Amino acid sequence: MSKPKVGIYGLTGCAGDQLVILNCEDELLNIVGALDIKSFSMAVSESDDDCLLDIVFVEGTVVQPRDEEMLQNLRERAKLLIAIGTCAVWGGLPAMKNEFSQEEIKKKVYGPAGDIFKTTAPQPLSSFVKVDLSISGCPIEKEQLLQAVASLLHGDLPRLPGYAVCTECKMSEYTCLLVEKGQLCLGPITVAGCKARCPGYGQPCIGCRGPVEEANVSSEIEVLKEKGFTWVDIQNRLRTFVASIDPLQIESV
Amino acid sequence: MHNSIVIDHICRVEGHGGITVGIKDGRVSEVNMDIFEGPRFFEPLVVGRAYDEVSPILMRICAICSGTHTVASLRAVESAFGVTVSRQTHLLRDLLVQGGNIQSHALHLFCLSIPDFLNYPSAIALASDHAQEVKMGLELKKLGNTIQEAIGGRAIHPVNATVGGFGRVPTRDMLFDLKEQLKRGLEQSLTTVDLVSGLQIPDFCVSPNIYAALSSNEHGYSLFGDKIALSTGDTKDIEAYKEICNEQVVSHSHAKQSWFKSKPFAVGAMARIILNGQKLSGEAKKAKVRLGLDAVSDNMLYNNAAQAIELIYSIERAIEIIDELLEVGIREEKPLKFRVQAGTGIGAVEAPRGTLYHSYSFDEAGRLIEADVITPTAQNLANIEKDLRVAVENLMDEPKELLSSKLEMVVRAYDPCISCAVHLIEVNFE
Repeated sequence: MSKPKVGIYGLTGCAGDQLVILNCEDELLNIVGALDIKSFSMAVSESDDDCLLDIVFVEGTVVQPRDEEMLQNLRERAKLLIAIGTCAVWGGLPAMKNEFSQEEIKKKVYGPAGDIFKTTAPQPLSSFVKVDLSISGCPIEKEQLLQAVASLLHGDLPRLPGYAVCTECKMSEYTCLLVEKGQLCLGPITVAGCKARCPGYGQPCIGCRGPVEEANVSSEIEVLKEKGFTWVDIQNRLRTFVASIDPLQIESV
Repeated sequence: MHNSIVIDHICRVEGHGGITVGIKDGRVSEVNMDIFEGPRFFEPLVVGRAYDEVSPILMRICAICSGTHTVASLRAVESAFGVTVSRQTHLLRDLLVQGGNIQSHALHLFCLSIPDFLNYPSAIALASDHAQEVKMGLELKKLGNTIQEAIGGRAIHPVNATVGGFGRVPTRDMLFDLKEQLKRGLEQSLTTVDLVSGLQIPDFCVSPNIYAALSSNEHGYSLFGDKIALSTGDTKDIEAYKEICNEQVVSHSHAKQSWFKSKPFAVGAMARIILNGQKLSGEAKKAKVRLGLDAVSDNMLYNNAAQAIELIYSIERAIEIIDELLEVGIREEKPLKFRVQAGTGIGAVEAPRGTLYHSYSFDEAGRLIEADVITPTAQNLANIEKDLRVAVENLMDEPKELLSSKLEMVVRAYDPCISCAVHLIEVNFE
């Protein structure tokens, strides 16, 4: 069997998800041995940015026309397009204040010099193209990435958890930060995969992995209100990583 | 003779940037380091946020140095509220920052930079002929990540460091284990110096530099400090950072640029070694002499050598910190409790690429009014353009392809972090 042709690309973002790939120190040389990597500009000078690809991994948010053009081009070239990281999957932090006009912000920051480039409201990949698989996380978890690569090499899509961080937290028998400590924890509505990393360090879940399917947001909000959090605090926390497409339907609650 | 040189996309750096050089009548008319990473407007994102939400958002400006961003950010918050953390917390943060420095320098040296000097397009290609060296580089990188995971709770975007302290402090066993790994890493970092000392460092971009780095009262070399020292002899309190990082908008870039007294300046490993190198001890001190960085250098390509020296320093310093923690005994400390009040605070830390400043103002409820973050790469951009100009002038007669790869080498030597540079500064949201 020939090695799958793979591209690894970053739109606008912190490059953290590409760095997770480079952080697979023990597995890196095996991974690159099993794949035919055509482009990974963060790590490799030579790249083929025109060829057809079996799989493309895309990190980052679309915040400018240049990002969208690149994304459309990648979609046309690739059989499977995989969004990696919360920015690519949900819009992430850059989309947090989409209610403000980008042009207005730009003018305030750059003055007249800002006229030479264009910005658009930050959006996740799925606003523009079909996404075949979403691996969320800020950053993605190394194990999920390796599991995905292993599945893809066998011709399958990986099974990602359909349950919440809360479930992982209970399984680890951590003290409940929401109910017992009254902290603003988003564990009940955030998708699992991190083994409840933050609660394990006594820190509330801030929702960096994005929402779990069928999240019971209204119930989460009720609990938070009972604990004495203001609407501003609750909304700020809920909107931090997934404001762009409002999957939590915050306004309607 | 070339009319112009355009490098669309510089590879093996973090983020999206290019180089444009204009040439008129055989002379360089303009040199632009183009930054087209999209802007993310980070500072306005945190306006109105509660003080404890600020660091988790702003650490995400950058992945490679998220640990340093976290520590600088926490120090700014604490400084605004007049909070002084315990010696144990300070030591653990120092350890986190050293872990980040080891990770970042190993990544840059082995995966991004050394392939240049040995004429390989990537570390992956380098591995086919020099598997042992690449494997060692990856192990050193992993050591940095292991420290960041143990102390910060995650290698990228740490979760455990918080305002006033740490969610969970490491156990004695974890520290013993880290120390064993560090001892092994020290051997590898010495081998790295052997490798770097064998590299031919070209001199096509030599030009006078002004260097800037934090300066501390501590007797040893440090990545912390309350003053900024410049190679001009000037010193400033970190509160006066804006007098140095005089930021200006330039039309070809999404990142602002910094000048000191109308001159570009450089920050980073090389600046630190030149300004604070006399404080180095142990193996790092020996490596400094061996790599020829004992005198002031105006060749930024030596930044790679400076990083190799700091790799040793960070490992030795991490061992020193662990020894102190083990000797005193690690305590089950919870984050400090404090009273929230209106105030302004600045946190500065030496990130792998140079001095990083976070400055915040909070209202009496502890909500953020204004944030200003100045990253090392933003400070270096004007100096990079200065060096690129010198390089083009020296290499004008070389074939375009060769010249282009040498220009990329100059940029890469600075280890730029373009995501960091493009996050946008000084926005006041009404």
